[in-house]
Amino acid sequence: MDVRSQISMVFHLDKCIGCHTCSVACKNIWTDRKGTEYMWWNNVETKPGTGFPTKWEDQEKYKGGWEKKNGSIQLRSTGKGRVVPNIFHHPHQPSMNDYYEPWTYKYDELFNAPEGNDQPTARPISMVTGEHMDIEAGPNWDDDLSGSPVYAKNDPNFKNLTAEQQAQLFAIERLVFFYFPRICNHCLNPSCVASCPSGALHKRGEDGIVLIDQEQCRGWRSCVAACPYKKTYYNWQTGKSEKCILCFPRIESGQAPACFHSCVGRIRYLGVLLYDADMIDDVANTPDDQLVEAHRAMVLDPNDPEVIRSAQANGIHDDVIKSAQKSPVYKFVKEWGIALPPHIEYRTLPMLFYVPPMLPVMTTMDGDAKKNMNEGLFPDFDKARAPMEFLANLFSAGNTGKMRYALKKQMAVRQYRRAVTVGDISMEAALKMLLEADCSVEEAEGIYKLTSLCTFDERFVIPPAHREEAIEMMKDPLEHKQEVGFGLREEPERGA
Amino acid sequence: MPKVTSKKCITGINWAASILTSVFFLLLICTSVSAQVPADYFKQNCASCHTIGGGRLTGPDLKNVSERQSRDWLVNWTLDPEGILKSGDPYAVKLQKEARGAVMTRSPGMTRVLSAALLDLIDAESKLEKSQFAGTQISDRPLLAEDIEEGRMLFMGATRLKNNGPSCIGCHTVNSMKGLGGGRLGLNLTRAYARLEGRKGLSAWLVSPPSLMMNPIFKKYPIDEEEVLPLVAFLKNETEIDEPENKTAMINFLLYGMGGAVVLLVIFDLLWNKRFRGVRQPMVKESYHS
Repeated sequence: MDVRSQISMVFHLDKCIGCHTCSVACKNIWTDRKGTEYMWWNNVETKPGTGFPTKWEDQEKYKGGWEKKNGSIQLRSTGKGRVVPNIFHHPHQPSMNDYYEPWTYKYDELFNAPEGNDQPTARPISMVTGEHMDIEAGPNWDDDLSGSPVYAKNDPNFKNLTAEQQAQLFAIERLVFFYFPRICNHCLNPSCVASCPSGALHKRGEDGIVLIDQEQCRGWRSCVAACPYKKTYYNWQTGKSEKCILCFPRIESGQAPACFHSCVGRIRYLGVLLYDADMIDDVANTPDDQLVEAHRAMVLDPNDPEVIRSAQANGIHDDVIKSAQKSPVYKFVKEWGIALPPHIEYRTLPMLFYVPPMLPVMTTMDGDAKKNMNEGLFPDFDKARAPMEFLANLFSAGNTGKMRYALKKQMAVRQYRRAVTVGDISMEAALKMLLEADCSVEEAEGIYKLTSLCTFDERFVIPPAHREEAIEMMKDPLEHKQEVGFGLREEPERGA
Repeated sequence: MPKVTSKKCITGINWAASILTSVFFLLLICTSVSAQVPADYFKQNCASCHTIGGGRLTGPDLKNVSERQSRDWLVNWTLDPEGILKSGDPYAVKLQKEARGAVMTRSPGMTRVLSAALLDLIDAESKLEKSQFAGTQISDRPLLAEDIEEGRMLFMGATRLKNNGPSCIGCHTVNSMKGLGGGRLGLNLTRAYARLEGRKGLSAWLVSPPSLMMNPIFKKYPIDEEEVLPLVAFLKNETEIDEPENKTAMINFLLYGMGGAVVLLVIFDLLWNKRFRGVRQPMVKESYHS
């Protein structure tokens, strides 16, 4: 057992209101520099929809992530033999057209336009060329555009849906959408790190945050092609690639990352998971339908004495283990099993999990009469507005069983709380439902509390950053202490 | 900051070392300027146009030159020949006439001290019965068809120059050359034999090429004396044939280049046929069409 710690995340999609506050918070802190205008380390997509960059989930085109081949996994986009012949022209590079051309408006025209019969307008100008441009696309072009024949229709997650199911999605009274906020997943088996010819990416030992070294990066852009979530971006000004850093300067000082902190719907949870790094190889090789379970099996119980011992042997600080024991992510992912990884079939083993949204059809109009759709207490999830297969394609590699389990448990908790607070459902029926959903009363109370009444400190259980121990892994901390702190970011060089 | 300090130490040692080395070399140069430097300099920069007691090449024979002009005039002349010509100096004009219009080039690195040293050398050599600078002794035997052929091979680079100098074709061309012709960085050598006034001048040039471009290259890898005669034979033959310049070679070169570029592009396109070609625009376009 090789126990490591990972700062992991849960996004509760049932609570996301799609306000983009997270995206804006991130943009204001990190990506308002020249060359980063088009980057959205955090973005919020409407599903069904094509996302940002357009159709990023279509790996036949983008060639991101890993694929199973000859008994092991290989990068889709590059490899030992392919890296050299493709080094000056990576053939799977998204272009600005697939992101969007960033723009602003020429606001001074509003004030300085000569007097005339028409209102002055602020024309859009490109932030790349500085010229006037016609806006064709944006990072959020299909925001709230459910049923769009252009964008929603081309969602790659429709691939194995029947024509009938697709038609269902687009029938006007069944129009459905939910939001899908995305940041870097800080994966356990990151394809971006594996693909870099310069070795500029690394996964931090102490908390698993994946970072690009801005001095080592040579701008080959292999990571851009290799990341199946398209969460590394090329900065055209500095000639280096950049990605979400999970606001590590904030985490190290005990603050939640900006997108987490600013979240209006309080959908975001953050905490430490302990996992077994010895299992990465096997798990990444598991067949698609067992991936979710295998991934979950890697996450270790932080209260298990043997796990604690191994963690201590690996140099994980007691504070981090304590923090892992209080981690909300552990509860959602492991104890309750209602948080699922996005597109785990890319085999990068993402460490950001999503609680899937419930989109039940409660009533429908039958002629002039309102018809209740729920014969039993459970709504029929197969008649829900978003087909089960669609959600399963997104969050459980097509495994509908896992998706059904997560939805059923959430629904059972709602019914149980309704029985407690409103009382129009009998407690007996509610408890039966809980039993069917594999959920105890304590668990239901736990889910209810962490979903609805969670405080700031319950949502973000940030381990104290023992930087001194992380430094100890690399060099003598006393020597390090003497070398830093004078305010020079680059070593002074003089002469030959 | 121990790391930086140690680095500074190393830099400091480097500094001291480099200063010591340069002092050492300066001493070396100072002691030898009197003896070997002017002779080498003469060989590399003057001997292609001048002899001492070997008769005229492009420039006059320098034997007893001090008797023909004052030391001051000669030093000034070596420092700036063109300037003196422009000033209308009658002796300089006479020299240019004798050289059929050729003007002495300002030799690289010429200084007043070096010039004086060179003149001392010429005075000393003039007194000898046979100076070491009496000119290259290239055989007077008639040039044969085999010599021409051998010269052609040397010129084309089919035979490597003995001292590993670069072959002529790298920078030069002659009109009789078919296909794309030779290099165009240097002069067209079709009439080089005539320009350098025959066998003696051309040989002197080849033994130590004085031009700013060729001098540094052939200083290290000189053309062997045995290779000079075949090259002279070849270039003489070229002057005698004197073919008109082949203007189409230039155009062909351009056309071949463009054709090659197109072929390369096609190959690249096939090699990277499965490359990423953009998603959004085709998707939007298709949705509007259907």
